[in-house]
Amino acid sequence: MSLRGHHNSTNVLVETASFLVVRLGVSYVALPADGVRGVLTREEAGNEQAVTAAGTIYQPVDLAQRLSVVADLSGLEMRTVLYSNGHSYGAIRVEQVVALTDVERKDCLPLPPQFQCDERNWFGGMMLYQDQLVLLVNPSWVLGDLAEVVLASVGQAEQMVAVTPAAVGESC
Amino acid sequence: MLKAARGQQQARAMKRSWNVVVFSVGGVKLAARTEDVGGVSPWTESMPVPSRTPFVQAMLKRGDHVMPVYDLASRLSSPVQGDLLLCLEARHLDGPMAICIDADVPSIETVDATTIRPNDREDIETLGTVTIGGEDVAIVALQRLGRSRQDAVRS
Repeated sequence: MSLRGHHNSTNVLVETASFLVVRLGVSYVALPADGVRGVLTREEAGNEQAVTAAGTIYQPVDLAQRLSVVADLSGLEMRTVLYSNGHSYGAIRVEQVVALTDVERKDCLPLPPQFQCDERNWFGGMMLYQDQLVLLVNPSWVLGDLAEVVLASVGQAEQMVAVTPAAVGESC
Repeated sequence: MLKAARGQQQARAMKRSWNVVVFSVGGVKLAARTEDVGGVSPWTESMPVPSRTPFVQAMLKRGDHVMPVYDLASRLSSPVQGDLLLCLEARHLDGPMAICIDADVPSIETVDATTIRPNDREDIETLGTVTIGGEDVAIVALQRLGRSRQDAVRS
């Protein structure tokens, strides 16, 4: 028996993940937001390749070149995203910061198996944002080169965690 | 009993014939088994995906779903022809895949399976070649497209 007007309800836990959606040329990619340490304008980032912020040096990451996409980084909307996975720090220049968005994990889709090469390491999955396909980049891969440098002195076990695609899929 | 025998005969005859969708890419006629085709619809703009997989470098949105695009025209070095291009949905073993084809509306033909000849094409996965309307047409193995493997003709 229940009180009139009282509805039994179950709290449904909706798991979401936050992403910073950026544009490089005609490609839209998203970085897990928890790694974003800052977004700087051209003036704020300065002319040096590496960016120093709050005492931390962020090494340059040419994401467009690594993805083999053509990006125009001379526009007014160009931003430098300071990004870290806790042990590596990268300054990623993007053509435009599109949005910071929360996505339900069920809306994050795996990359179709027809994609069979390096891109499986580059992207942990994909999602649709305002009808636009957005690829979820794998932070371990983005910062991979930097991580290898840092971890070389730490130990092989940790290096394996940083450079293998095991983290792929965890981005959403 | 007579009915059953007739049914078996019909089934055997069906097995001996294949229904194929005949379409063209860059003016080159190709065919695919009807069961390997999910449908044909107007082509819409695809979304690029940075990728190193040969000929798989874009996705196409269909309603709430997205599917990879297989660039058959590039693989055949035959740019698609026509203004209103079409999308042929391939039932690939790894999931549906979109292929941009010429604007010419595809037709459905029934071919005798015994007339399908093996071919030694290395530019595309095929199930063999058949003559349709006096023209030799390769039957594309849509299920295995991109797997760089020639399939033997199964009669």
